[in-house]
Amino acid sequence: MKHFLLRVLATLLFLAVPVLGVWTFVKADDWGLWFPPIASSYGASIDFLFYVILWMVTVTFIGTEMLLVWFVFRYSKKDATRATYTHGNHTLEMVWTAIPALLLIFVAFSQMKAWTTVKINFPTDGPYTVEKPLMEVYASQFDWRVRYPDPQGDFAGADVIEVPYDITVPANTKVVFRLKSRDVLHSFFVPVFRLKQDAVPGMEIPMWFEATTPGDYDLICAELCGWGHYKMAGKIHVLPRDEFERWLADQRASLYATD
Amino acid sequence: MILRRHPSAALLAAAALSSTLACKYEPSTPELHYSLNAKALADNPDLAADGGAQTQLLGALQTMFGTPKNPRFLALPEWLADGFDPNFWGEDHVKADQAAWAALVESNRKAFGQQLSAIRAGGFEAVDRPRFADDLWERWQRLRAELPAGGPDAEYLTTDDGQKVSWREEALYRFENYYPSLANSAAFYHNQCFHCHGAEGGGDGSTSRFLEPRPRDYRPGKFKFTALKGKARPRHEDVFRILTDGVYTTAMPSFRRFTDAQLHGLVDYVRLLSIRGETEILLASFYDPAEGLHFDNLRENYTDVVGRWREAPERLITYAGPIPEVTAERVEHGRALFTTPGEKGGANCVSCHGTSGRGDGPSVWEPGKVGIEFTKDDWGNPIQPRDFTRGVFRFGRRPIDLYRRIYAGINGTPMPEHFGMTITESARQRAMTEDDVWDLVFFVRALASQSPLLARAGGAPAAEGAR
Amino acid sequence: MSTHAHTATHPAKPLGIDPPGTVHATHDHHELGFIRKYVFSTDHKVIGLQFLFTGLLMLLFGGLMAMAIRWQLAYPWTEMPVLGRLLFPETGGVTTPEGYTMLFTMHGTLMIFFVIIPLLTGTFGNFLIPLMIGAPDMAFPRLNMMGYWFWWPGIACILLSFGAEGGGPAAGWTSYPPLSTIEAAAPGSQWGQNLWLLSLTFVGVSSMMGAINYVTTIVKMRAPGMTFFRMPLSVWALMVAALLQLFALPVLTAATFMQLFDRVFDAGFFTPTGVIINGTSPETLGNAAGGHPLLWQHLFWFYSHPAVYILVVPAMGFVSDILAVHARKPIFGYKPMVYSIAGIAGLGFIVWGHHMFMSGMNPAVGLVFMTATIMIALPSAVKVFNWLGTLWGARIHLTSAMLFALAFVSMFIIGGLSGIWMASTPVDIYIHDTYIIVAHFHYVVFAGSMMAIFAAIYHWFPKMFGRLMNETLGKIHFVGTFITLNGVFYMMHQLGLAGLMRRTADPYAYETYAHLQPINQFISWCAFALLAWQVFFVVNFFGSMFFGKRAGRNPWNACSVEWESPSPPGHGNFDKQLAVHHGPYEYGVPDASRDFVAQTQRAPGLHAHA
Repeated sequence: MKHFLLRVLATLLFLAVPVLGVWTFVKADDWGLWFPPIASSYGASIDFLFYVILWMVTVTFIGTEMLLVWFVFRYSKKDATRATYTHGNHTLEMVWTAIPALLLIFVAFSQMKAWTTVKINFPTDGPYTVEKPLMEVYASQFDWRVRYPDPQGDFAGADVIEVPYDITVPANTKVVFRLKSRDVLHSFFVPVFRLKQDAVPGMEIPMWFEATTPGDYDLICAELCGWGHYKMAGKIHVLPRDEFERWLADQRASLYATD
Repeated sequence: MILRRHPSAALLAAAALSSTLACKYEPSTPELHYSLNAKALADNPDLAADGGAQTQLLGALQTMFGTPKNPRFLALPEWLADGFDPNFWGEDHVKADQAAWAALVESNRKAFGQQLSAIRAGGFEAVDRPRFADDLWERWQRLRAELPAGGPDAEYLTTDDGQKVSWREEALYRFENYYPSLANSAAFYHNQCFHCHGAEGGGDGSTSRFLEPRPRDYRPGKFKFTALKGKARPRHEDVFRILTDGVYTTAMPSFRRFTDAQLHGLVDYVRLLSIRGETEILLASFYDPAEGLHFDNLRENYTDVVGRWREAPERLITYAGPIPEVTAERVEHGRALFTTPGEKGGANCVSCHGTSGRGDGPSVWEPGKVGIEFTKDDWGNPIQPRDFTRGVFRFGRRPIDLYRRIYAGINGTPMPEHFGMTITESARQRAMTEDDVWDLVFFVRALASQSPLLARAGGAPAAEGAR
Repeated sequence: MSTHAHTATHPAKPLGIDPPGTVHATHDHHELGFIRKYVFSTDHKVIGLQFLFTGLLMLLFGGLMAMAIRWQLAYPWTEMPVLGRLLFPETGGVTTPEGYTMLFTMHGTLMIFFVIIPLLTGTFGNFLIPLMIGAPDMAFPRLNMMGYWFWWPGIACILLSFGAEGGGPAAGWTSYPPLSTIEAAAPGSQWGQNLWLLSLTFVGVSSMMGAINYVTTIVKMRAPGMTFFRMPLSVWALMVAALLQLFALPVLTAATFMQLFDRVFDAGFFTPTGVIINGTSPETLGNAAGGHPLLWQHLFWFYSHPAVYILVVPAMGFVSDILAVHARKPIFGYKPMVYSIAGIAGLGFIVWGHHMFMSGMNPAVGLVFMTATIMIALPSAVKVFNWLGTLWGARIHLTSAMLFALAFVSMFIIGGLSGIWMASTPVDIYIHDTYIIVAHFHYVVFAGSMMAIFAAIYHWFPKMFGRLMNETLGKIHFVGTFITLNGVFYMMHQLGLAGLMRRTADPYAYETYAHLQPINQFISWCAFALLAWQVFFVVNFFGSMFFGKRAGRNPWNACSVEWESPSPPGHGNFDKQLAVHHGPYEYGVPDASRDFVAQTQRAPGLHAHA
C-alpha cells in the first residue's frame, strides 16, 4: 500500500509538469503574461518564428514528459521479474537522431530571413538611410537621449535638437537611426517593435524600424548598466507623419526662444 | 504521535498554513526621520556637544516643517493675509501659468486614462488605484462614499461662480486636476530620490558616495542651474526643468516618465527641504554656549529665507527681442574675449577652459602632466571646467541657456558672472554688455560644433591639452 | 608488512604512477597525523569530501543571496527580514539599488564557480573517478590536494569582497566592461571587482589542477579490462568536462588578467575612447583608451559557454548511472550516449556567440552561431530519448536517488527545449536579457544539475560514509524541493514573454510591469519555502553520517567497480585484485543468478562491452 502511494505520488508529481506546464502557457495571455501587441512592420515575422518553435517544443515537451510519467508509473510496479534486458536499438537511434536533426536544420534556416531583415538589410528606399539617419539615440547612466540633426543634417551642429526621455518618430515610415552610448553598455529595447540592440560605447550602431501604429511605447534598457539599470526608461512617441513634421518644426523654432 | 504516523499529512498541513500566512503578509518600511545636518554641527562644535539643544533644534524644525511622513510649512499669519500659503506654493504658482496647468491636466489625462474611462463608463469599482497618488485615492474613496442618491449625474456641488457640477464631473475634475499634497510628494521623494539625495535633502543618501558629481545638497540653499542672476534661489520652473531634463552626464536622469503633477509636487518638497535646511543652518549658527539656542530672530530669518525663494522670478535673466544673428565677426570677437586672459583685459575663459575649450586651461593643467587637476565647488566636491568639444551642456544647450550661464555664472562653482565684468578693448576699460555675452555664446557654440564659422573667423585655436 | 606486489613484475613506473590494477594493502611505513589525513590529505576520497562540504557551505551563501534578491522583487524597498540589517545596515534593512546589483552578481558567481562546478567535478570527480575505473588514487595525489587548497584563496577573495569599499562586485557574474573596468562606473567596481578577478583566477587554477589529474588518471590508470567503452558514463562525462576545463579555462584566465591590467595599470584593453562615466572621462583621469568592450565578451564567453556544459555534462553522467542502477536495466544506447557527450562538448566550443547576438558584433556572425547552437539541441535530445529508453521496460525502485535522477530528466527537458528559442536569433531579439533566460538557465543548472547532485549524494553517500541516508526524509526532501522549485522557476518563462527584464531591482518602476508583482510574490514565497525545505536534507545528511543504517559494500546491488570496495573505502581503495570483464550496466541479465552481473564478475557470453 505504501509502495503504491509512493508510485502514485511520484507519477502525479511528474504528471503535474506537462499538465501545469501547458496550462500556464495557455492561460498566460489572460493573466497579462504574454507578448504585448506588435507595433512594427517586422514584428509579426518574429512572433511567427516564436510560435513555430512553440508548437514544436510543446509537442516534444508533452510527448517526452508523458512518456516519462507513463514509464515511471508502469515500470515501478513491485514484482519479482527482471527488466527487459536490452542495450539499445540501432534503428531507433538513427530515427530519433535524424528526425530532430532535420527539424532543427529547418528551424535554423527559417530564422535567417527575419534576422537579416532586422539587422543587416537596412532600408535604402525611405527618407532615412544609414548615412542620413533620422536621429541618434544616446544611452547613458541612467537616461535615454535623442538627438535630431540640424537642418544641414549635421549631428554635431550647434542647432541639433536634443531631447531627454521622449523619442518622437513618424509612423509608417522606415526610420533609420544610430545607437550610441555615453559611458557603459546599455541596450535599446522596445518590446512592441520586437527590437533590441546593445548600445556599445565607442560604437555607432545603425538600427531601423517602421512603426505601424501611433502611440506611446516603453523603451527599456536591457543590459546591466549599473545601479540605475532598473529605472532607465524612455518613451517612443509614434506620431502620424505630418504631426511629426510639425513637432520637429516646433522644436527647431523653440531653439531660439528667449523665455 | 500523529507526526510520526502521518508525517506527510502533517507536512501538508504545515505547508497549507504557511501559504495562507504568506498571502496575508505585509512587509514594513522603516520610518524615516530627519536628522541633524552634520556639517552644521561640525561648524558649531558647542552645539555638537549639547545634546539637549540638538533635540530642541529638531523640535523647532519639526514645528516649522513637519516630519518626513507629514511635512508642511508653518504658515505665518502675515503671509496668509497676503494671500500666500507656502503649503500651496507650487499649486498656486502652476495654476497661475495657463500653459503649465494645461500641460499638467493633459499629463494627468494620459496617466489616469484607465480611471477616467472607468468613471465615464460608470464602473466605479473598476477604477484602479493609481501609483504614487495615495492622497488622490483617499479623496476618491471619500467621494465615492458621497455618491448622491440621484446617481452620478445628479448635482453634487455648486462652484464659487455659481456653476452646478455633477458628481461624475467632480470626479473627473479631481483626477484631471490632481496636484499632490506635500505628504504625497514626500512619499514619492522617498521612493525615487531619497537613496541619492538623503532624507533631509543633504545629498548624502546611501548611493551618493558612489556618484561623481555628488547629488545636490539642498540645505545651504545654493543651486547651480538656475536662469537667474545674483546667485538667487531657483524658480519653480528651474527645479522642474532639472526633473524633466535631468542633468546630462551626471547620475540625475530625466524623470519625464512621471506626470507633471508628480514632478511639480517634488519641486514643492525639494523647496521645503531646502528652506528647512537653510533655517537649520541659521539656527545652528545662533547657538550661544551661554544661552543655548535662541529663537529671537527666527521669525525674521524664516521670512527672509522664504522671501528669497519668493523673489526668484524677479531675478530672471531675460533678453528682449530675437537673438542676434551669428556672423563670423561676432564669433571672432567672442574668440578674442575667450582667449584673452584677465590681466590683458579679456573675459579670461581660457584660464579654465583652455585655448581649445577642452577644459584644460592653466588653472587645472600644465603641459606634460597626465590628466587634469580638479578644483572644488562650494559643496566640497571635485569639479572640472567644461570641455566644450564633447557637446555636453548640463542645463540646456539652447542659445538662451548658454547666455544665462555666461551672464550670471554658475552658483557654487568657480564659473563667475560675466555680465558687467570689466574688460579692456581698444585700450579702454568698459563693462561687458549683453552683446558681448552673445558673442561668447556664439564662439562656444561654434567650438562645440566645429562650425565652419570658426574657420572663417581665423581657424580653431591650437589644440594642446590633457589628451 | 609492505606488500608492493608490483615491483616483482613491473619494475618501471611510467609517470611515477603505479600501473593499473595495482593493489595496495595498508601502507604502514608512516601513520598519518590528523592534519595529513583529513586536512592536507592527498587521498582523493578525502579531497572529494572536502569539496562536498565546502561546496554545500557555499550553496548556503549563494542561496541566501537568492533569497535577498527574491525579497526585493516581491516587496521592493521594504525592510528585508533576517538578512536585511546584515547586508544593508545603513538603510535599516532596505535593499539599496547598488546593493541589488551586488546581490545578483554574487549569487551567480557563487553558484557557478563555488557550488555547481566544485560539487560536480570537485566532489564526484575526485571521489568517483579512481573508484569507478579501479585505480588506487589519482595520478597526481599532491596536485589533487593543491587543487582543493588553491580553491580557498578564491573563496577568501570573494567573501572578502563583501567588505570592500563600495561593496562586492556589482557588474554581474559576466562582468562586462566598461561597467566593471572603470571604478567610477559602479560602486562594486572598486576593490570588490579586483577581488572578484583574483578569486576567479584562483578558482581557475584549482580547476585546471583537477582537470589535468582527471584526464591523466582516466587515460593511464584504468584497471585491467577496463577499456574506454566499459567505463561508466559518469567517468566519460567527468573526462569530457575536464577536457572542457583544460581548453577553455586558459582563455578566461587570460581575460581576467587583461581586465585586471585594465583596472590596475590602466591598460585600456576594453576601455573605448571618448566616454564620460559618472561625470568624467577616463582619459582626463589618465587612463588609456582605444579598447573595445566586445573583446571581453568574446573572451569571457569563449570560456563561459563550455563552462555551462561543465555545469551539466557531469550531471548527465551521474543521472545515467543512477537511472541504470535503480531501474535495474542497462543504459539504452551507451555508445550514442558517449558520442552525445562528446558532441555537446565539441559543439560547445563554437557557440559562444549566442550570448552576444544583441551585443553589436557583426550580425552575419550571429547566423553562424545560431546554426551551431541549434544543432547542440540534437545530442541533448538524443540523451533524453536514451534515458526514456532506459526507463522503458525497467524495474524502477523509487528510492530518493532515483526520484532526483528522474527529476533531472523531467527538468532538463524543460531547460533544453526553452534553449531553442534562445538559439533563434530573431526570437532572441525579444527574449534576450528577459526572465525567460533566467528560467532557462535555472532549469538546467538548478532543476537539472542540482537535482543530479542530490541524486548523486543520496546514491553514493553509502560509499562515502558507510551508512545509508534515511529514505523517508529523502522522499520528503524530494517532494518539497520538486514542487517549490517549479513554483519558483516555471512562471519565469511567462514573465519573460511579458517582457520582464533581468537584473532589475524594481521592475515595477515601469508602469507596464506593475501587474507582475503578485506573481513575483508567489515566486518569492516558493523560494523561501524551497530554502526552508532543505532542512530535511541537512538533517538527513549530517544525521545519517553518524546514525544512519550501516551500508555494506553494495547496498544498491550495482555493477560498477566502485561498489567492490569497502564502504567507505580505505587507503588504496580496493582490497583485492580487480579485473573488468564487461560493461557497467549488466542489469536484468536473463540467465544470471541475480538481477545484475558485477563488472568484475566473469560471465562469458555476456555483452562484451556496454
